[in-house]
Amino acid sequence: MTAELLRLIQWLSPAFPVGGFAYSHGLESAMVSGAVRDGAGVREWVGDVLAYGSGRNDAILLARGLAGGDLEDLSDLARAMAASSERLREMMDQGAAFAMATSALTGMDLPARPLPLAVAQAARGLDLPLETVLSVYLQSFAGALVMAAVKFLPLGQTEGQGILQALQPLVLEIAKDAARPDADFASSAFGADMAAMEHEILEVRIFRT
Amino acid sequence: MFDAAPIRMERSRGRAFVGFAGGRLADLRQEGSAKAMLPRVFDGVPEVVFLNTSGGLTSGDRLELALDAGAGARIVATTQTAERAYAAVSGSAEVSVRLQVGAGGHLDWLPQETILFDRADLARRTRVGLVGDASLVMAETLVLGRAAMGESLARLALSDRREVYRDGRAVLVEPFALSDAVLAPRDALLGGARALGFLAKVGAGAEALVEPLRRVLAECDVPGAVSGWDGKCVVRLLAADGWPLRRAMGRLIGMMTGRPLPRVWQG
Repeated sequence: MTAELLRLIQWLSPAFPVGGFAYSHGLESAMVSGAVRDGAGVREWVGDVLAYGSGRNDAILLARGLAGGDLEDLSDLARAMAASSERLREMMDQGAAFAMATSALTGMDLPARPLPLAVAQAARGLDLPLETVLSVYLQSFAGALVMAAVKFLPLGQTEGQGILQALQPLVLEIAKDAARPDADFASSAFGADMAAMEHEILEVRIFRT
Repeated sequence: MFDAAPIRMERSRGRAFVGFAGGRLADLRQEGSAKAMLPRVFDGVPEVVFLNTSGGLTSGDRLELALDAGAGARIVATTQTAERAYAAVSGSAEVSVRLQVGAGGHLDWLPQETILFDRADLARRTRVGLVGDASLVMAETLVLGRAAMGESLARLALSDRREVYRDGRAVLVEPFALSDAVLAPRDALLGGARALGFLAKVGAGAEALVEPLRRVLAECDVPGAVSGWDGKCVVRLLAADGWPLRRAMGRLIGMMTGRPLPRVWQG
């Protein structure tokens, strides 16, 4: 199991070639508008997106994919749930890059899919507890947003890592919740969804989303 | 013991179905608290007005509204008044909305706002099936209490799921939900807003509406955002209160449908 855990951590590390550094998931708009301006704001925003928005929904998609759900139907559902044009692009571009890299590394032939389903199809072969896979995925998701904040705000690297550490209990809680067989999707992060849409019309952007 | 507030023990049940064929009424069934009316129209586009005569939704109520717009015609459907979800002490109220649009058809689903009161518990599911090149405009407005009446919400359970399928494949799914925890005034959530609007067009070329809608939105004093992709155009709005949101929704719906609002929306 340790070997398989290493494999998963490799796939979901910031160094894996999916271009994670290029996307802010709408956080850039919130930082430009001043809604998120410091470490406390980043922690709150990322925590809310994880718990009440696309973080938890992605985890449920991943869980259903790992549990043997039809990956075509789940991919349609993931596309249909994308809150905006850029959210779709973020999910599809990263999913395609993830499928390409894992295919090259494993010799499997994995088609492009929305990111949580691309991860599901690659990780189906790993003998790991569901909650472990979801936790690592959610921490990777949170880590990408925190890194975007560290790049944009006056926020140190260590402070950023402190935020990620502080979010770990929440990550574990969401993973446990999303692993329940009857877990269902819920989108309450209306402000974060609007920020993702507003990102399209920012005049100066350093992130693609 | 006789001073206690009355508790309505009976549960309300309502089902209404309206079916069209070739743009003409072909079927109308209604039972219980659900009614469907077809006011006289002057431009040849049939309009359906649904009404829940129970006066609001609470624990155990079940309301089912269904409409088949048929193929090749435009149908407009709305609700007579705002729907109210009252405090629920023993389980949720359930509302099911099922809409079907045949090939070459178009439906404007424009219900009036849903007002949620403190301790409301509402599970609503709106499912739309499109066939072939059918298209849809849908608008949903949620108001959390009535600010003008000094109401505020501390407890709430809402699941308001909107799903659009084309030939059986999911094309737009918004599993909107609200709970006590997300009423906190945080920017990634509702940011303290008390009224929410969601407006979508699903159909070929819907992306072309993005720029005109952004121009209309810029003239409204309500924060909102527009995006278009994959044959869809979506608008989200957050407002301090229901009234400014209703005005903005009216203008945006007008732009999205290219038609005047249903008469029940006016005034």
